[in-house]
Amino acid sequence: MIATPMELGSLKLALMAAVVAGSAIYSEFLTTPAPEKGAVHVTYWEKWTEFEGDAMRAVVDEFNREHPNIHVDLLTISNIQDKTLMAVAGGVPPDVAGLFGPDVAQYADDNAVLILDDYCKKAGIKPDDYIRPFWDMSFYRGHVYALPSAPASTALHYNKTLMQESGLDPNKPPKTIEELDSMSDRITKFGPNHSLLRAGFMPAEPGWWNWAWGYNFGGRLWDGKDKITALSPENIRAFTWIQHFAKIYGSQALQTFRSGFGNFSSPQNAFLDGKVAMEQQGVWMYNFISKYAPGLKWGAVPFPYPADRPDLKDMTYADEDILVIPRGAKHPNEAFEFIKFVESQKGMELLCMGQRKNSPLKKVSPEFYAKHPNPFIRLFTDLPKGKNTVEPPKLGIWPEYQDALNNAFDEVNLLKSTPAEALKEVQDRMQPELDEYLLRLRARGVIK
Amino acid sequence: MAKAEIRDVDPLTDAGANRPTRARQKTSKGKQGVASKALIHLVLLVTSLIFLTPLAWMISTSLKPIEETMKQPPVWIPSHIFWGNYWDAITYGSATLGYIPFLVYARNTLIVCILVVAGTVASNSLVAYSFARLRWPGRDIAFAATLATMMVPFPVVMVPIFGLFRDLGWIGTYRPLWVPAWFGGAFSIFLLRQFFRTIPFELSEAAKLDGCSEWRIFKDVILPLSKPALAVVALFSFLATWNDFLGPLIYLLDQKTFTLSLGLQFYQSQHGGTQWNLLMAASTIVIAPIIVLFFFTQRVFIQGIALTGLKG
Amino acid sequence: MSSPRKSESRAGLLFASPWFLGFLVFLAYPLLASIYYSFCDYSVLKAPVWVGLSNYRELWRDDVFWITLKNTGVYALFALPLGVVVSLALALMLNAKVRGLAFYRTAIYIPSLVPLVSLAVLWLWMFNGEYGLVNVGLKHLGLGSPPWLSDPAWSKPALVVMSLWGLGNAVVIYLAGLQDVPQEMLEAAELDGARSWDKTRHVTLPMISPVILFNVIMGIIGTLQIFTVPYVMFPGGVPARSTYFYAMYLFDNAFRFHKMGYACAMGWIMFLIIFVLTMVSLRASEKSVHYGGS
Repeated sequence: MIATPMELGSLKLALMAAVVAGSAIYSEFLTTPAPEKGAVHVTYWEKWTEFEGDAMRAVVDEFNREHPNIHVDLLTISNIQDKTLMAVAGGVPPDVAGLFGPDVAQYADDNAVLILDDYCKKAGIKPDDYIRPFWDMSFYRGHVYALPSAPASTALHYNKTLMQESGLDPNKPPKTIEELDSMSDRITKFGPNHSLLRAGFMPAEPGWWNWAWGYNFGGRLWDGKDKITALSPENIRAFTWIQHFAKIYGSQALQTFRSGFGNFSSPQNAFLDGKVAMEQQGVWMYNFISKYAPGLKWGAVPFPYPADRPDLKDMTYADEDILVIPRGAKHPNEAFEFIKFVESQKGMELLCMGQRKNSPLKKVSPEFYAKHPNPFIRLFTDLPKGKNTVEPPKLGIWPEYQDALNNAFDEVNLLKSTPAEALKEVQDRMQPELDEYLLRLRARGVIK
Repeated sequence: MAKAEIRDVDPLTDAGANRPTRARQKTSKGKQGVASKALIHLVLLVTSLIFLTPLAWMISTSLKPIEETMKQPPVWIPSHIFWGNYWDAITYGSATLGYIPFLVYARNTLIVCILVVAGTVASNSLVAYSFARLRWPGRDIAFAATLATMMVPFPVVMVPIFGLFRDLGWIGTYRPLWVPAWFGGAFSIFLLRQFFRTIPFELSEAAKLDGCSEWRIFKDVILPLSKPALAVVALFSFLATWNDFLGPLIYLLDQKTFTLSLGLQFYQSQHGGTQWNLLMAASTIVIAPIIVLFFFTQRVFIQGIALTGLKG
Repeated sequence: MSSPRKSESRAGLLFASPWFLGFLVFLAYPLLASIYYSFCDYSVLKAPVWVGLSNYRELWRDDVFWITLKNTGVYALFALPLGVVVSLALALMLNAKVRGLAFYRTAIYIPSLVPLVSLAVLWLWMFNGEYGLVNVGLKHLGLGSPPWLSDPAWSKPALVVMSLWGLGNAVVIYLAGLQDVPQEMLEAAELDGARSWDKTRHVTLPMISPVILFNVIMGIIGTLQIFTVPYVMFPGGVPARSTYFYAMYLFDNAFRFHKMGYACAMGWIMFLIIFVLTMVSLRASEKSVHYGGS
């Protein structure tokens, strides 16, 4: 194909050259931003797709309508963390990027995002406007580096039908971990050859907070300064609890059982499919229930606490998506103008209603609750107001730390290590890692 | 057409030694031959079926409604054929993104492929010609060094090259993906050099006596004789570009500029849900043209590689 | 030196100049820069700061580095020989003059044309413990249903099995090599009463040994770089880091952990490993590889 033109002489050769040159020029055209006419164009990268993306698009449209001099271009970007890093490094960042809450420390330490202190002051955005954890997650080393977009909190979701089938009162979900354990035993069903047919509770589902279980037993992952505290009695207790499920189910049976789960966002999701009766899940779970298992009878309550630690009652994992202005953004002022709109009660409720999540703001309009389809929206709003909220540690090395904890979880869950061994491995790996990290930050003068 | 192309080249190689003729095949048929041939048939048939199973499954899935994709036991023939999946696959996400991603990715991939293939063929044929048929001091050492570069894995140079393209202001453009192709690559140089060496040197000498410049010899004598080898190099570079995942993953930023291999990930939604049937429909569209192309060009293709003579 | 010689030299250098430039800019410079960065604290966002051997020291005591190295080695140890044997066997059969060759060739080659991302997702599903086609098939044969994706003991075998579907390229290269085996030699062997296996062993294999060597070396380089399929199928190398491969950890260090200097150090170690393995295979093959003519 490529070779034929050559024998057919210079005409074909010229034609080929023209196609190639045309492609080169076209490829340049495709990656050159359109010239701006009139309004200032703010490029905004966001990870959301489907209905979550649509919710943000509605906010953007509303903003563009109200601000004729600014036009926000919302672009859907997958792998947003890597992409934002590469874009900042490459000197072609967007004006606004929608990252994840736990990214703040890493991006701030790397000087990849702008400090928003002055912008917030000018716009009158105060910590007091927010439910504490949602402000806290975007605040790092004394500065505001980000502002929340859609937040989330978690609770125990349970399948009422399965409880009833197992002779449990579906209106009395577990309050303590011990109750959770005994109910789980009642619900769990084995088949022939010790195969698992149904599980009451399974810490590995959905697997997004495998690092976090220590908090439910009073553990911490670091001391807020320079010590990693993975190997603490509380964390060992949590991992022992995790392992006891694996022991009940049997490692082999558990792996075989789990290998049959479908994707999260599908009717074969273990919870939606009735394979796992109780799960720690976020406010978004409602969306998937109504989409894939509309007939499911379910409830949500605060996650149980150890009976001997009533002070750990109402523990919830706070999670949030954030908006940042990457360093090198061309229109930081206009970018913040947009962020400010998202942070307003109107913008925020439009977004959070669209995504069927709770609002990070303290002030919520009555209509928001009235119209919100999630029957448990007040629970998800109130839980993060309590004192027992789990936020990922604000550490520049968090991505690595999280990987290490996830691996420890896997090892414990597969009965490959004892809880103490697995956590010691994490401790021994991450403490020198943190020391080295702080040393290098000091060498650069980022910290004293 | 394919046959004609092969015949073009025949006089230039030692055809008698290289290609078995039909007459010879007949003589080697014996009783033992029949039995072993049946065995070969059987093994090849089974292997082919095994190799085709994932593909058949892909096509079958691409024609199913979503409920049927996860049915137990698996359904091979959809209850009714769902051609709509193909339309949905092509337009998937267009409402959110504001453009038709599949077509955009296909266009982007095609552009990158054109630029890479053209660059690979143009630059490597020049360089290989120099290594194969021109004498210059240090040539053999340079060729050995060239071969050694095949050992440098991309991840080793990934970070500095990223830094280089950043300094050039090329991040977020297609340039990092295609410009390097215009500066040669060891594998293609090697393949083409081996082929160029099989062309009788007398042809060059005769042309030289006629007063042809090296450029003219290269363009008018060598290149027209090298079509199968050039086609092989073009095809290999096309496939590598078509399938490249890491390059676009690092250098392309805006979803609108993604290539197909990167864009296909889009069908796996953020929450880990996968529109199986749509993804499979999209994949089928992606590979269908290549399969057809290969089926009809395989003889030329294999002959081409054979003629380049991988022997050192 | 005569004038035509001189002009030939000039032409030669001119023709080769794109490659010289490409070599300097896209290989020599990055390789040297990579050595330098490997001694630095570097994150592309900040200027590199010299830290001496610190990255290498850290690597030495980094368990994950060793795990990924081991995973990659184990994978290569199985995938590579299996790949060589199967692709060679297929090529030998495809070289037999039987009917329907075009179909067989195409069938065996096309899986390597499927985009790796689709392939990964397709297999992710084929290997599903309950709904997956693989286990449904195995169950029919009474071979049980291993939890391919959730058990660390089965996740690497799953990848090795998958790698067989990408053998098309190697098969095609072998096939090409087989076309070079002179028919006369095979017939001569036949007249001497050689059976087909003897023919293969004593005539065909020695004749294509350079091609085998070539495929082995390309295989070493390719398998040690395995990235896309596990990256899509097993994010983070789950379960329990059993599918965490060297190139994935390198990528994570560079772009997720923002430790580019560390990633460069890993890159250099990878290069040295490939270099040594290639040299070893070249040395080991010196006796057994037969170069026709020379």
